[in-house]
Amino acid sequence: METSISVRNVTKRHKLYAGTSEKLKDIFLRKDYGEDFYALKGISFEAKAGEVIGFVGINGAGKSTLSNIIAGILPETSGEVEVNGEVSLIAVSSGLKANLTGRENIELKCLMLGFSKREIEKLEPGIIEFAELDQFIDQPVKSYSSGMKSRLGFAISVTIDPDIIIIDEALSVGDKAFSEKAFHKMMEFKKAGKTIIFVSHSTKQMKKFTDKVLWLEFGRVREFGPTKEILPKYDAFIEEYKAMTKIEKENYRRQGQSLPI
Amino acid sequence: MKAVITVLTEQVKYFYLLRRLSWYEVKSKNKMTYLGLGWELINPGIQIAIYWFIFGYGIRKGEGIDGDPFFQWMLAGIIVWFFFNPAIIESSKSIYQRVKMLSKMNFPMSLIPNMVIFSKFYSHIGLLLLVILILNISGYPISIYYLQLPLFIIATYLFIFALSLITSTLNTFIRDLQMLLQAVLRMLLYMTPILWATFSLPEWIQSMMKINPLYYLVEGYRAALLGKGWYFLANPGYSLYFWGVTLFLLIVGSSLHVKFRRRFIDFI
Repeated sequence: METSISVRNVTKRHKLYAGTSEKLKDIFLRKDYGEDFYALKGISFEAKAGEVIGFVGINGAGKSTLSNIIAGILPETSGEVEVNGEVSLIAVSSGLKANLTGRENIELKCLMLGFSKREIEKLEPGIIEFAELDQFIDQPVKSYSSGMKSRLGFAISVTIDPDIIIIDEALSVGDKAFSEKAFHKMMEFKKAGKTIIFVSHSTKQMKKFTDKVLWLEFGRVREFGPTKEILPKYDAFIEEYKAMTKIEKENYRRQGQSLPI
Repeated sequence: MKAVITVLTEQVKYFYLLRRLSWYEVKSKNKMTYLGLGWELINPGIQIAIYWFIFGYGIRKGEGIDGDPFFQWMLAGIIVWFFFNPAIIESSKSIYQRVKMLSKMNFPMSLIPNMVIFSKFYSHIGLLLLVILILNISGYPISIYYLQLPLFIIATYLFIFALSLITSTLNTFIRDLQMLLQAVLRMLLYMTPILWATFSLPEWIQSMMKINPLYYLVEGYRAALLGKGWYFLANPGYSLYFWGVTLFLLIVGSSLHVKFRRRFIDFI
């Protein structure tokens, strides 16, 4: 099978500045200013075409950062990311224009993704149907409920038929019926041989859905392997972590974050 | 120079997208008002009326400027301002307002400021046609000098685009610049011969005022619309200066933009 996503030794550095003047100096002068914070400390993994990979880890592990880098939204600080095919990131907040109607948002979003007028006309009915917006489709998005907004965002993202899909906690949108429908859609994608990255805290969905699990901890890969092997270990760890006292948790975090790159 | 070519080719290559996106920009801005697009004309209309009342009727007591009635003289120049001012203010904000939503899109980032400028260009053309109509009715018929109008429209557009590449980039790092920009623009309205003529000032002050490239554009539009001669030929040195400045801004703006565009999202 060919490689779909290849991530090699990727790091992501955020700068923590003491003040605005430090930020300015850092941008325009050659010398480095500000304190470095590494959200990712050298991540490597590979995904073959058609694999479904789950990202797990406690808060601050770097799951979202890594998925944003793969999606091309955030630039990596060092390392290499190679992606073969069109990537679509499905996140809860989907960047719709509040003043425009649902229909206009569909057109605008598809336009920005590079579809022609005719292609958009063809895609539109499918998106509207999937989003279950009915008569609201010609109302401005700002009058939508949050569930309606995320349904529309989700419907647009899945209908454009990308090769690689990154789902960041998005399967919990809307009511139960819709999230089931969304889950079915993902299963369809899986069957169609698309590469899927699945970021979620729900180990139940992980178990049902993924082939492999990438366990991140403090910006590092702790384990990577078949779901059957890794997920039970992660589950056990979570139980252990939950049982820690507040101070123990804090120590654990501090220890993990202070590790060098 | 390489950056300039990169940025300009992107504009040409994605022109269709630029046109469509800017139309949505217009739509989303005017969606919630009953008069919608009408405001793009009503707003300038109200401002023109008040400026005419203060400067033409109040201060100049209805007296003309250099043989032209004040109203027509102002109209032919202020039209540049009604394009320049909103286009610069909005395009300077364009990148930091949209980068989150747009960073994963299949088109280059340099389209974002231009998309905003283009959306203002629609109302500029509409306003221009209206001004031409008014001028024709009120004794300034279309003349051979209209032929230089496209040149000045292109010059204005390019100047705004070049400037917006700089301001929209710097604005993502330093939000204060937007405040500064608005203050400078407010001043610029009075430092350009839009509402008052500068003939009566000493020669050297007039030359100083010509450093402002907007001066060139306003006078150019005026020469074309009022039929006052071939402005760009009559002032070859000033034309050269204007294009020099515009090219310089374009080089600086493109280099800045290309250098930082991958990292915009990191600075938000």
